[in-house]
Amino acid sequence: MAEAPSGLRILLHQHVKERAPVHVSSHADRDRVLEVFRNVILKTEPPENFALQAVQEAIKPQRQTVLVQDENQSLENALRALLQELVSAAVQSGERTMQYGQSIDDGENIRGQIPRLLDIVLYLCERGHVEGGMIFQLLEDLTEMSTMKDCKEVFAYIESKQDILGKQELFGRGKLVMLRTCNQLLRRLSKANDVVFCGRILMFLAHFFPLSERSAVNIKGVFNTSNETKYEKDAPVGVAVDFNFYKTFWSLQEHFSNPASTTLAPSKWQKFASNLRVVLDTFEAQPLGDDNGNVNNLEQEEATFSIKYLTSSKLMGLELKDPSFRRHILLQCLILFDYLKAPGKNDKDGPLESMKEEIKTCEERVKKLLEIIPPKGKEFLESIEHILEREKNWVWWKRDGCPAFEKQAIEKKIGQDGTKKRKPRWRLGNKELSQLWKWADQNPNALTDPQRVHMPSVAKYWKPLADDMDDSAGIEAEFHHKNNRVYCWKGLRFSARQDLEGFSRFTDHGIEGVVPPELLPPDVRSKFHAKPSEKTKRAKKEEVKVAAAQSEDNQVAMPVAETDGGGNGTELEDGVAPMDSDAAAVEESQKQSPEMDSGHEAGQSEAETEAEAENRSDIKVEAVTGAVREVDPDTDPNPLSKDSHGGDRENP
Amino acid sequence: MPEMARRGGGGGGGGGGGDARNWDEEGYRKSILRERELHYRTVFRTAFAPSLNPNPETLIVASSDGSLASYSISACISSVTQLMHFNRKIDEKPVPDFLLVEPLSVIQGHKGPAYDLKFYHVGEEYLLLSCGDDGRIRGWKWTEELNSDLSMGMQGNDLKPLLDLVNPQHEGPWGALSPIPENNAIAVNEQEGSIYSAAGDACAYCWDVETRKRKMVFRGHSDYLHCITARKSSNQIITGSEDGTTRIWDCRSGSCTRIIYPEKNRKLKEHSWVSSVAIDSSESWLACGTGSGLSVWSLLSCECIFSSDSCAPVQDLLFQDNQVLTVGSEPVLTRFGIYGVVLSQIKCAPQSAFSVSLHPSGVVAVGGYGGLVDVISEFGSHLCTFCCQGMD
Repeated sequence: MAEAPSGLRILLHQHVKERAPVHVSSHADRDRVLEVFRNVILKTEPPENFALQAVQEAIKPQRQTVLVQDENQSLENALRALLQELVSAAVQSGERTMQYGQSIDDGENIRGQIPRLLDIVLYLCERGHVEGGMIFQLLEDLTEMSTMKDCKEVFAYIESKQDILGKQELFGRGKLVMLRTCNQLLRRLSKANDVVFCGRILMFLAHFFPLSERSAVNIKGVFNTSNETKYEKDAPVGVAVDFNFYKTFWSLQEHFSNPASTTLAPSKWQKFASNLRVVLDTFEAQPLGDDNGNVNNLEQEEATFSIKYLTSSKLMGLELKDPSFRRHILLQCLILFDYLKAPGKNDKDGPLESMKEEIKTCEERVKKLLEIIPPKGKEFLESIEHILEREKNWVWWKRDGCPAFEKQAIEKKIGQDGTKKRKPRWRLGNKELSQLWKWADQNPNALTDPQRVHMPSVAKYWKPLADDMDDSAGIEAEFHHKNNRVYCWKGLRFSARQDLEGFSRFTDHGIEGVVPPELLPPDVRSKFHAKPSEKTKRAKKEEVKVAAAQSEDNQVAMPVAETDGGGNGTELEDGVAPMDSDAAAVEESQKQSPEMDSGHEAGQSEAETEAEAENRSDIKVEAVTGAVREVDPDTDPNPLSKDSHGGDRENP
Repeated sequence: MPEMARRGGGGGGGGGGGDARNWDEEGYRKSILRERELHYRTVFRTAFAPSLNPNPETLIVASSDGSLASYSISACISSVTQLMHFNRKIDEKPVPDFLLVEPLSVIQGHKGPAYDLKFYHVGEEYLLLSCGDDGRIRGWKWTEELNSDLSMGMQGNDLKPLLDLVNPQHEGPWGALSPIPENNAIAVNEQEGSIYSAAGDACAYCWDVETRKRKMVFRGHSDYLHCITARKSSNQIITGSEDGTTRIWDCRSGSCTRIIYPEKNRKLKEHSWVSSVAIDSSESWLACGTGSGLSVWSLLSCECIFSSDSCAPVQDLLFQDNQVLTVGSEPVLTRFGIYGVVLSQIKCAPQSAFSVSLHPSGVVAVGGYGGLVDVISEFGSHLCTFCCQGMD
């Protein structure tokens, strides 16, 4: 037996070469196919070792690996015949179909012939050598030929191959056949006795078909009105029972089985609502104790699961004491309410306002009742609520026309041109922040760029105000720069940093005093700067000299000193100002210093220096800040020491 | 006017609705009066008539107009069902409009209200005993009463009572006689041939049915008696009184064997009363309904088993197996377990109920204010609810 394949293979190759186009009668063909596969299913190796060769040998296909239409058909027919043969052989020998031909040779468990045949065909289908629907056809045949007992094993086989059968290419070919097979099986099974098998089939279907498969959906929302609950219409003789209640109670089922009719006619709804109220009253009046629904009770019920409760009036009393019976009824109510509350196809179909109100109250009562029914009522209600919530999603899904859940198509589209469109990720929160962060890297010349916005010189800055101060210009107060608070504030800060002398004039002359005198026309200037005291002229002159010599240093050092004293009073803003702005200022002042100095020196006059001197002494009176006082020549006559002094102060 | 239209038929030919030409002033007056009477009528006692049928057949109602009326339950059910939904719809109304039902038969039992009725079994016959405000105990042959096919009340008065017992008047100084004390409740003991009555003069009386004589007087309570029940196994009676005590009496000696204070452990200073007593079928448990609730005692150990504080006074109670059914001044029928757990509370029609009675099949009848009787099935559903028409 082991030799056979190699021999056959040689034969096969020769055949293929020689006889590809040759046609023989179909009977002869079929017999050959049968013969080949009869041998092949006896092999124990995995199908990939020989399956394709077997096909080639049996069919002698025109193309090496893929069969054409006719060839497929003849192979399928032959295989179906073989399957039938095997099944009948199994029946005759009294073996189970799936185990027929099974031998336990060499301590090795060899599978039955039919599963092996199926394996081979499945392999061929999976690889695309033969038409994909073939395996489904064989499975359908097999289930139809088998008894229910055997079908369980066949189905177990199907379940075990679910992954392969569910592959896209196979699924497309065979889903309808598979659905038919399963439905056929379900039809043959008893709903009451083969619950487990039915469940298996349903589970399989649920896994096999995509979630959004519409074929099993009750698209129109038709109710199974044939599920009628019959109950006694006439009171029984000789039994004490509240027959009205009995009828009221069971009449609810009519509404449950056909909820649509309940909504249509208001009178029907009224009847239902009043009947339900009677039932709920009764349930509420007699809550079930713990002893009525202990765990044993429930376990027993699981064992004796029944689909429908019996409606005999004699059982009514017992049923009312049964917690799970109550749960069923109350759950039915909740399901009905859910249906009633759901909006219809058009808004007009929805429940009326008054009805909504009634539904709401009833629902609350029902939920309360469910909660108090003994074994784990709260948990039960919670899970029911959860399930009903999920159910709502399905209702909406159905209302939206059962859209597919797979979103692949859309995702693909994004993927195609998504490379460019992909949202960039900002290192720092958003685009602006990120840009700011990267600004320095991207613009290395920013600082040296002559076009960049500079901090203006003090003179330049005050120019507009100086122009306004010229009375001949006749600027109205409204537009006068001295009344522009922002301008003034900025200017003051500016001066405080770069022109301390000018800044100090603020105390006496207000904002206009800060304007550098050289900018002002002589008459205006005299107004602010004409008060220098003559007596100190000489002494000041000396000082000025020193100051002028030191002016460059002074300007550099100034910010440091200010930063130093930043903690105090008026200089607070500067202290708070970020370091680089300070650095920028330093840089600025350094850059500007030649110009400034020249301007300073050029425009320096007696009056100016005197004013300076006077103001210096004024500073003391004002006692602005420690830092400023440090500069005061009275306490520290040598301005040169100021620098070192400032440095000292920094150190501790 | 709407009253008229509604009740016109019963008011003796009140006539054509709004037609002023044939205005029947008399009929209108009568109908108004009737309406009022009906509204303030109270059912003091309901009882299921004994029968072989396992279903409750006939219900006897003693009400405040002194009438004893019997109603067919099946007839009530069939007439009520037509209106059931109608009634349910206006459930929220404080006093729903209940159906007036014609009695099978009615007799004028007493002058003034009839307070209690009992069946007394003699041989093949049943004697219907009733007592009332006029201090009489009267007995009728049940079959006769039932078969007296009467046209609304007139003939009822003709029916002669088989038994007529009158409470004694107390003699004061100079031969002054007190009024006849009323009978609030009766109990029977067929083996002894005795009828026990709880009277308004703080005494209980024992009457011999054969001789129609007073056999025994039980004196001891300090206030009038509300209720009485017979403990046949030990030939005792148990009485409950306005003085707040329950006493157990020995019928042979007429002496009080035990005094139970259902309210004793209560801190409340205010005076309470015992409105109802009941013993279970094994005669070892005693339930006392008081002004503030219910207390259940073991007669063997004479210990209080439980004492339940309901806000409403209990007005009647009975044992059903090992459960206690109580009604009181609120429109609910409460079912207690023997250890004091409230098993269920069923809403019932009368705003205040004075009587609860039980049929062996589990059907319960509750009667009370407004002449209303609510028959509740063993499921807790309302079998039928009706308003007693009573005497004219």
